[in-house]
Amino acid sequence: MPQRLAVNPRPSRQSVYTVEPRRRRIELGLLLLVSLATALAYLLALYGQHPSATLTFNPYIATIIVAPYLAHIANRKLAPLADPSFLPLASLLNGIGFVVIHRLDVAEGRLQVIWTIVGVTAYIATLLIVRSSDTLDRYRYLLVAGGVVLLFTPLIPHIGQNINGERLWIRVGPLSFQPVEAAKLLLAVFTASYLTDKQDLLRRFSLRNRSTRSVALRTFGPLGAAWALSLLVMTAERDIGFGLLLFTTFLTMLWIATANKVFVGFGLALFAVGFFVADKLFYQVNERITIWLDPWKYALSTGYQIVQGQYAFGSGGLTGTGLGLGHPTLIPVVTSDFIFAAIGEEMGLLGTTAILFAILLIVGAGFRTAVRARTEFSSLTAFSFTLIFALQTFFIIAGVTRVLPLTGVTLPFVAYGGSSLLANYVLIAILTRISHEGNVTYGPPVRSSPSVTVPQTP
Amino acid sequence: MRRRMFSVAVMLLVAFGILFFQLNNLQIVQAKKLATAPGNSRAITSIFSLPRGPIVTSDGAVMAETVPAKNVYHYQRIYPAGSLYATVTGYDSIIYGQSGIEAAYNSYLQGHQRAIRSFSDLFKSKMVTDTVVTTINSTLQKVATTALGSLHGAVVAIDPTSGSIEALVSTPSYNPAPLASPSGTVEHQAWTSDIAGSTPPLQDIAISRAYPPGSTFKIVTTSAVYDHDPSLATKNYPVATQIALPLTTHKLHNYAYEPCGGTMPVLLQVSCDTGYAQIGLSLGASNLATEANAFGFNSTPPLDISGAAASSFPPVSFFNQNLPQLAFSAIGQGNVSATPLQMALVASAIADHGTIMTPHLLSHIIGSQGQIVTSYQAHPWKVATSPETAAQVTTLMEGVVNGGTAQDIAIPGVKIAAKTGTAQFNLGTTSTSTGQSDNWMIAFAPAQAPQIAVAVVVPAQSGLSANPTGAAYAGPIVKAVLQAALGLK
Repeated sequence: MPQRLAVNPRPSRQSVYTVEPRRRRIELGLLLLVSLATALAYLLALYGQHPSATLTFNPYIATIIVAPYLAHIANRKLAPLADPSFLPLASLLNGIGFVVIHRLDVAEGRLQVIWTIVGVTAYIATLLIVRSSDTLDRYRYLLVAGGVVLLFTPLIPHIGQNINGERLWIRVGPLSFQPVEAAKLLLAVFTASYLTDKQDLLRRFSLRNRSTRSVALRTFGPLGAAWALSLLVMTAERDIGFGLLLFTTFLTMLWIATANKVFVGFGLALFAVGFFVADKLFYQVNERITIWLDPWKYALSTGYQIVQGQYAFGSGGLTGTGLGLGHPTLIPVVTSDFIFAAIGEEMGLLGTTAILFAILLIVGAGFRTAVRARTEFSSLTAFSFTLIFALQTFFIIAGVTRVLPLTGVTLPFVAYGGSSLLANYVLIAILTRISHEGNVTYGPPVRSSPSVTVPQTP
Repeated sequence: MRRRMFSVAVMLLVAFGILFFQLNNLQIVQAKKLATAPGNSRAITSIFSLPRGPIVTSDGAVMAETVPAKNVYHYQRIYPAGSLYATVTGYDSIIYGQSGIEAAYNSYLQGHQRAIRSFSDLFKSKMVTDTVVTTINSTLQKVATTALGSLHGAVVAIDPTSGSIEALVSTPSYNPAPLASPSGTVEHQAWTSDIAGSTPPLQDIAISRAYPPGSTFKIVTTSAVYDHDPSLATKNYPVATQIALPLTTHKLHNYAYEPCGGTMPVLLQVSCDTGYAQIGLSLGASNLATEANAFGFNSTPPLDISGAAASSFPPVSFFNQNLPQLAFSAIGQGNVSATPLQMALVASAIADHGTIMTPHLLSHIIGSQGQIVTSYQAHPWKVATSPETAAQVTTLMEGVVNGGTAQDIAIPGVKIAAKTGTAQFNLGTTSTSTGQSDNWMIAFAPAQAPQIAVAVVVPAQSGLSANPTGAAYAGPIVKAVLQAALGLK
């Protein structure tokens, strides 16, 4: 896309270019549409539930509407050239998610607002701290160490929490947190960084060639160790969903970076073995597959949730019952795992399709960012983040709609959950940063600027 | 790397395509099946999440109404008078469905669409409900219930000129409130106890259970005499304690072997079984069966709530093989059985110049704007007999109160027509057995311009005195209801 370029009359250390921030104006326009959509959805839900409600100022919906504009200001200052679709799409999902959660459980809706504030703050902080994606590259071992430690925290007595036989949560005071949401990003950054560095060695790996074998295995060591450890920890925590998500992400990244099909084959074999072991070892795996195959048989016991979810989609039909007019509360833990079914019931196929498209647009923008990224590391990072986002969405929607067995991951931005919101805001902040970097076009040679770096070709 | 990223993107696109495909499958293709699946309680939850119109008595007392509540449905059906009106309102249960007025006038009670007239209507509930006004008189209903007390029995009070049922009581009754509970457990427990026992509270004996009407049936026999063979009315039957029956060695005796005899007015006044048995035999099966059918026997009364049962009188062919049974049928025993509602209709036929008005519980329906949506139009059900016969039978029934078996219900200043009935189980043996009779009384008043017709039954049950009679058990209840209906203390 051609950009109107102009040489900055007052070149500073930071800005070696000046492009009229047309993208930010598009973003602002989109945000206004998002605010309108969120406000309307809120009104519909309010009057759907309480036909005689009087409209009073609600600080929670106001916060949800205002918060994205703060992130928008940060974008203008810190990443003016970034893709304008990330923030509005995330805000739309966040806004609709809030309306649905608030309609189902007012207390959780209010907590979601607090987490939104935390998320947007984290978004701005990420843009502030990670001024360049190179920063992430530099601290890769620190990041991976942080990630693995985070993964371990739920196993620590007193702060670790068992929920439904899965030990995924830590609780400090009133706040509970799912560390894996943050850890997945740290692991992905480390992997991107490590693979960028060592991809040549791994690329040449062949089972037949003795010399490449030993080098490659030595190179693969730290990476493999980090991932094996992570997956082992998640096994101990019975976190099937995120385990699967991370494994798939890792394998795909390995293939993307090295183009070596040996890893893919090996990974798939490992997956088969792991699946077989998990099926034998953990009742959850077996149970979820059983109820996936025939939930109707267990409609009143283990399959209750999935069956109620199916009913919700069916009762919603094309246009849905209308916000506040359905009965999604009949589905257990509807605000986190099954929020998509609640949307299906009250907003119908039109609503679920809208959510699906919003997510696909984020994924598309993410891949565009990866392809246009300035460095190979940032490209792989953007790719992995997009992949995590896409896979996580796919797994939970596929689980809720019974395309795949249910894996308990959250629907990004939409589902109730602080850690999920926080992690996803950081995720799109990094994507925004990489997108901005990739869109920096170097105009006519600029003299006297120390920070100009020759763009690396990926 | 780009090429591989592109492949991954394509794979993801396919994956999301599958999701979209599945969403269409669930929300379009299978939508109807899923929405109406037996395990999907959303449709019924929706219905119970709507306001529901109230049911009130003719004098404005609330029998049932729906109030906002903090439960999953946001509304709760309540029955302010507890079990008082249960026989009329029925229940409105999530699990067990509906009965009574709740079922019969559900389409009015249930929310229905209102036209959108203004912008703000778009956001408001489009559902409006109507108010069902019944013919029940709250005073009469209370008096009847109180008079029955702890007895198992039924009271039906009808305005004979219109067929409006002003009191409909069946005891023991049940409280419909727990059956409308949002908790399935509460509903289930209530249901279990409401259908338990030999006299389950959910059974509305006033309209659904038939008992031998005993001597109250003599009104039909008397009417048949005037209609088919008036000469029998003046025939004198000799005094006897028992009579021999044709074709059998069995004998038919009077209550407690009391001797009685005379012409029909005297026979009715003292309820002489031997006399009426002979009248029945003289009348013949055909005449008596015709008369019984004209009074509504063997037809289900077209009551506007479901559950009404037909009363029965044997067909003529039955007596061809069984002539002695005709003697018993003529006195309301043997193979004759009648619901309290049917006997109230017998009284009301005599009271209303021989015409039975269709019994009903609906008075009218008031819309959300206060307008009358529909009114019940009174219309005849059957012509039981001629006005002349009705007048003659009325005179005879007045004699029952004036020095006859129902003299205890006499109210000074009011002419009352009545007939007692004591249907004994153990015919042909001694009279010393206890508590083994269904005890009846039917009555109407004032005799010349009737406002109310009543039937009361206190069926055989433990706790009754030795040798119970209709006069002893049903009498006081009839008297209380008549007094209340006529506005007397």
